Amino acid sequence: MTLALVRPGSWDFPLFLHVLGAVVLFGGTATVATLATASLGGGRTQAPLLRQLAFVTMLAVVWPAWVVMRVGADWILTKEGLDKDTPGWVGAGMAVSDPGIIVLLLLTFLAWLVRRRPRAGPILAGLAILYVLALGVAWFAMTAKPGS
Amino acid sequence: MLLSKYEWLLFFHVSGAFLMLGGIVVAWVLGIAAALRERPSEIALLMRLTGVAAAAIGLGMALALVFGLWLVFDLDAYRLWDGWIVGALVLFLLSGATGGIAGNRDTKARRYAERLAREGDVPSAELAARVRDPIALALNLVSSLLAFAILALMVWKPGA
Repeated sequence: MTLALVRPGSWDFPLFLHVLGAVVLFGGTATVATLATASLGGGRTQAPLLRQLAFVTMLAVVWPAWVVMRVGADWILTKEGLDKDTPGWVGAGMAVSDPGIIVLLLLTFLAWLVRRRPRAGPILAGLAILYVLALGVAWFAMTAKPGS
Repeated sequence: MLLSKYEWLLFFHVSGAFLMLGGIVVAWVLGIAAALRERPSEIALLMRLTGVAAAAIGLGMALALVFGLWLVFDLDAYRLWDGWIVGALVLFLLSGATGGIAGNRDTKARRYAERLAREGDVPSAELAARVRDPIALALNLVSSLLAFAILALMVWKPGA
């Protein structure tokens, strides 16, 4: 048990970078989900503002955070030598992060589109909520490391 | 896929940290957006939405603290008086206190925005000053930096 808690000091910064990116990615996506859901309220006059903010959040928060999270992940994997022999819990994280880029592209497109076509709002809100849940699965895999 | 007690405790502890820090990100995005608006109804709406963030931060703080302490008492490797754990607890208290004071000032600004929104929704210099309150901003900044400093302590564990 104790052995699992010890790691070389040179792994700390890449790990911090990875977790920082993951936390901001989670917060940014949760913001998009909140804004997109709030914009669905029937007849809300501020809905265009909320949709615009969702789009800006995707560009200014979510994408930079994904890059930081992914760069940190690659860095720590290389340091730990897990890039060659990938355990299941790393695979689970990657299964969310790498295909996640397609989801993020779709979310960005939808956030842009919804400003002109509000009818796409429920799809944007639903997909953002699903991605937040997927991030939850990834952090379960990363922290509990089932099967390690 | 049976998880050990340690793995469950760690998962809930980290989940708390994610909710707390993620909630802080949500609060900053919505708070900055509110500070950049002029119409009271828009400011009120954005500040109301930060309630989602406040709930996540509160739940996250509770989970991180309870399961963090549980981990400390459960593992032989850690002691409550280890420097980095004491440091994290001190930062946790300071972060909560400064965040709480800032939250009270933000709540007053939100209530003022809601009142103005009901009374004609005309932009007001007084509201702009309250939403861009430098004391609340500084307290929020200190609270957030302390929370992220706890994350750094959890990763580096100096002295462990």
